[in-house]
Amino acid sequence: MTASATPCFATEGLTKRFPRVTALDDLTVAAGTGVTGLVGANGAGKSTLIKILLGLLPPTSGRASVLGLDTATQGLEIRRVVGYMPEHDCLPPDMSATEFVVHMAQMSGLPRTAARERAADTLRHVGLDEERYRPMGGYSTGMRQRVKLAQALVHDPQLVFLDEPTNGLDPQGRDDMLALIRRVGTEFGISVLVTSHLLGELERVCDHVIVIDGGRLLRSSAIREFTRAEQTVAVEVEEGQQRLAERLIAGGETVAAQGRLLTVQVSADDPGRTYDAVRDAVCDLGLSLLRLEQRRGRIEDVFKESTAKEPVA
Amino acid sequence: MTPEPTAVIHDIGYRHYDGVRLGRGRATLALGVQSLRGVFGLGRTVRAKIMPLLLVAIMLMPTVVSIGVMALAKQFVMPYPNYAVFMQAVIAVFLAAQSPYLVAPDLRFRVLPLYLSRPLTVTDYVLAKLTALAVALFGLLAVPLTIEFVGELLVDLPGPPHTADYLGALGGAVLHAVLLSSVGIALASFTPRRGLGVASVIAFYMFTAAVSGIFAGVLISSGRDDLAGWALLLNPFFLVDYVQSALFGTTPVNTESAPPGIASCLILLAVVAVAVTGVLLRYRKAAS
Repeated sequence: MTASATPCFATEGLTKRFPRVTALDDLTVAAGTGVTGLVGANGAGKSTLIKILLGLLPPTSGRASVLGLDTATQGLEIRRVVGYMPEHDCLPPDMSATEFVVHMAQMSGLPRTAARERAADTLRHVGLDEERYRPMGGYSTGMRQRVKLAQALVHDPQLVFLDEPTNGLDPQGRDDMLALIRRVGTEFGISVLVTSHLLGELERVCDHVIVIDGGRLLRSSAIREFTRAEQTVAVEVEEGQQRLAERLIAGGETVAAQGRLLTVQVSADDPGRTYDAVRDAVCDLGLSLLRLEQRRGRIEDVFKESTAKEPVA
Repeated sequence: MTPEPTAVIHDIGYRHYDGVRLGRGRATLALGVQSLRGVFGLGRTVRAKIMPLLLVAIMLMPTVVSIGVMALAKQFVMPYPNYAVFMQAVIAVFLAAQSPYLVAPDLRFRVLPLYLSRPLTVTDYVLAKLTALAVALFGLLAVPLTIEFVGELLVDLPGPPHTADYLGALGGAVLHAVLLSSVGIALASFTPRRGLGVASVIAFYMFTAAVSGIFAGVLISSGRDDLAGWALLLNPFFLVDYVQSALFGTTPVNTESAPPGIASCLILLAVVAVAVTGVLLRYRKAAS
């Protein structure tokens, strides 16, 4: 399926002005199925866009549609088939995760027995085991984020809006959450719109990335296009970083040092050559290799570049 | 030799839901039922059950005493239509203790956006909460009244049973339920803190009861008996008592100089309308 055939959501000249700020400014963007990342700094208009897409906030001007439904007139139909995980905390501490997710499933229109089954299934999929019977007041941030995700998925939506799902998580929790999001998009077959202000983490899970800043579109394209430009390999050795760098540069590679890491630009026309050069250099110099890792160009770089080109007033 | 495996666990992966999806009405109903159960502490912790069950027990005490007196002394002591006025302090405590439970946690823990991201609307949400509290209050009044009526029928006092009074009191219970639930939710929904909600509802009751009592007393002592009834309308329980008398022909507790029935009815309607509008406006604002 292509983006143009069945857009998950599309906006046209979408503008939202609050008394003091303009949250969205003439935003025209569309995304297809799969995992779409919505990137922007805090206050860039991400949450406002989600609220408009849910049909909860009327735009000042412009139009928006979700799964072919108009947000202005078909809000109820949209909310029947999408899920929403808010950025903020939203869990009553004296309820257990099971009770809460069952209740939320019923609020989406599932009969009680189906709601119980779906809640058990969904909580298992997000990785909450025995603790789901305990009151949520005692949950860690990671567990709370999982429950929030479960309530967004419990009614088996066609599309979920995840607002800053990795907020407040430690690096391990962040990785787990990102892997879970990837699973939702692929294995579960549910399209995802995930927001983050951290550009780096989205490139790992998204098929498509939309960058907004100050309510305006900076860029919208497939993840491949973001990262195609620059492919690097990071090398870390115990000692002799300097010697390795010199050797590689002498061999015609482009090398930059980032602290204890060396990043070597992978040759665009012959990628194998770069990898071989790194392997041979490490071997010949008898260095202990600590890390060798493939890196795609960071979205940050693209973001910086775009901002520089198109300064936002 | 290993035995043949008899059972195998399969990872069936993610399964889509293709069962029925009920409409908004059923979701609202489910929310109402869950709220109603919660008012009486059902499905909540033991601590949450103590207060409502204690108050229900207190509400039943006069009924038990009344049936006892009917059985032993063959005397009818507690007229049905006055029951709510007699028990007003207990009902007010129930209202104060339970209405914040219905609305405050959803505001405090920001659960409201989750409801509103589903097919439910703000109006559905408010309707479910108001109805849950109204049904709870109606039950709180109607159950003791009904038990007493059944007791009266079983004891079989000389003379006809007080059927009209009983039915009038049930009508009054509906009025109490509607008025008190809308006022209770309106007051409680203005703060996300449950303690403040409890305090504001009980303060509202004590203030109106005291002010209406003082005004009525001053007016009677200065010879303006005709105005005393108007002062009593400030107390929600006396207001309903007068409306109940006007609509169902029961005898009000305060017989002296009752204001015209139509005025009491209009005031009750106005109070309910203001309270419900207030709640809706409050939630519209909270939703955006």
